[in-house]
Amino acid sequence: MSALTVTDLRKSFGGLRVTKGVNLNVAPGERRLIIGPNGAGKTTLFNLITGELTPDAGSIELFGTNITRVPSRRRPHMGMARTYQIITLFPQDTIIHNVSLALLGLTPMRWNPLTDMRRQSRLTEQAHAALARVGLGHIAERPLSQTSYGERRRVEIAMALAQNPKLLLLDEPFAGLSIDERRDVQQLLLAIPRDVTIVMIEHNMDVALEFAERITLLHFGEVIVEGNRAEVVADPRTREVYLGH
Amino acid sequence: MTPLRLIALAIAALALATLPYWMSGIYYVNVASQILFFAVFALGLNVLAGYGGLVSLGHAALFGISAYATGYILQAGFGHPVAIIGALVVGVASMALYAVLSLRSTGIGFIMITLALGEILWGLAYRWISVTNGDNGINLHGRPAPFGIELNTATAFYYTTLVVFALAVVMVAIFVRSPLGAALKGTRDQPRRMNALGYHVWAIRFWACLFSGLLTSLSGILFVYYTQFISPQTLALTSSAEVLLMVISGGAGTLLGPIVGAGLVVIVKSVVSGFLERWNFLLGAIFVAIVILMPEGLVPGTARLWRLAWRRARGGGAPS
Repeated sequence: MSALTVTDLRKSFGGLRVTKGVNLNVAPGERRLIIGPNGAGKTTLFNLITGELTPDAGSIELFGTNITRVPSRRRPHMGMARTYQIITLFPQDTIIHNVSLALLGLTPMRWNPLTDMRRQSRLTEQAHAALARVGLGHIAERPLSQTSYGERRRVEIAMALAQNPKLLLLDEPFAGLSIDERRDVQQLLLAIPRDVTIVMIEHNMDVALEFAERITLLHFGEVIVEGNRAEVVADPRTREVYLGH
Repeated sequence: MTPLRLIALAIAALALATLPYWMSGIYYVNVASQILFFAVFALGLNVLAGYGGLVSLGHAALFGISAYATGYILQAGFGHPVAIIGALVVGVASMALYAVLSLRSTGIGFIMITLALGEILWGLAYRWISVTNGDNGINLHGRPAPFGIELNTATAFYYTTLVVFALAVVMVAIFVRSPLGAALKGTRDQPRRMNALGYHVWAIRFWACLFSGLLTSLSGILFVYYTQFISPQTLALTSSAEVLLMVISGGAGTLLGPIVGAGLVVIVKSVVSGFLERWNFLLGAIFVAIVILMPEGLVPGTARLWRLAWRRARGGGAPS
């Protein structure tokens, strides 16, 4: 059974066809890299998989379950988590509050209007553990507004990992990071256990190629090349539309 | 809670509890009652506008519905307990309907839908004379007497209002610290992210609307028992705008802000208007000054200035 199966997925915005019958098959535990030039439809594909956009046609299966019509808010409960290309956090709150919100999202306690959230020791412990995993345990109580860009990227990943996903979708996790920060995030991603399947969009080929086992090249909403690292890099179409040399 | 806050809270509680004894004259005790029930109204709107980011311009209609419901039920011959419970049910049910219609949108869309709903209800109250008695309104006769305590005196009514106010403050304080309160604030700041984290954004906002409706209904009931009269003017857009100004001027998304805002508006309307014919001008000038000098509202703005002053006094150190 595949972790993620996308079959003939189509999406148009008015007359613009952004996803033209995409097929994708990601094995459990696989590290898949999605590449493509700007406007290839990579983030749209992520938004379709997570349910933020509704496909015009096609289907999406998560570990054998058809989730095409499942509301996006239900998908995290089924084991899907994501990060965003543009960091999407809660800047007025502390780092630990951000991670606690991620944890809370999957528990029935999120409907509780009576208990004090700060006194939920189990929630706090889990949030601390998630932050320790990404190396931010020592600044857990710091307001997010007082953190660096790289730390915020790691908070995003901590929030996704805190939800114990089976499928993790990372949208350009290295974007805007310095060399040191990039190395830290790379180490962090490499340490994620194999029971988490990862699909990642990334432009930085130096770090991404090292991480990925299989690569899918999207161009104008279509998969034009797919294979292992050597196959994709060697393919002339990759050079033509993406690598440019 | 810091010791400073505890002391401030104790002083405020003591001042409110003893107010009829040191405040000279029944008129000012009545003004205090007005501040308290309008503060409950503002706290209700603050749940939506401050914590949920959903600015309603039709909340006075809900306030008026519960006030009218109280009047109708009493006129129908039922007692005060039935009237109060019935008005609460009608108010919250109306809010549920309001929410279903208005939560189809957020931002400007939400404002416009709530404005339109408010105007429809005001129009009905004004023009459906056979039911509402039009501009002549509905008169109430008598106030309830809980546990045998007559509420006909200003002092007794003040204490009743104070109890309801304290209850409302405690309810809001508990709510905003709760997981549901945190989720509501999350939907205000990053609804897309909250959805991706597994939250049902619409449902969270709907529950917030019901809570807001409950507080608004409570204040509407207190209002109608205070004035012994309800007319379409209570449901008008100006009333909705006024309570929104209470929230914004005091500090949206804070617990104390709407209470301070209610105090400011009621004092200018009821006290300053006795000395100043153009009190509306003064109120407008105060709001303009707040927006320019403390755009976050009086309470957060004062806290910011206090921190700044403290840092300067300590030579750059942060307050404890």
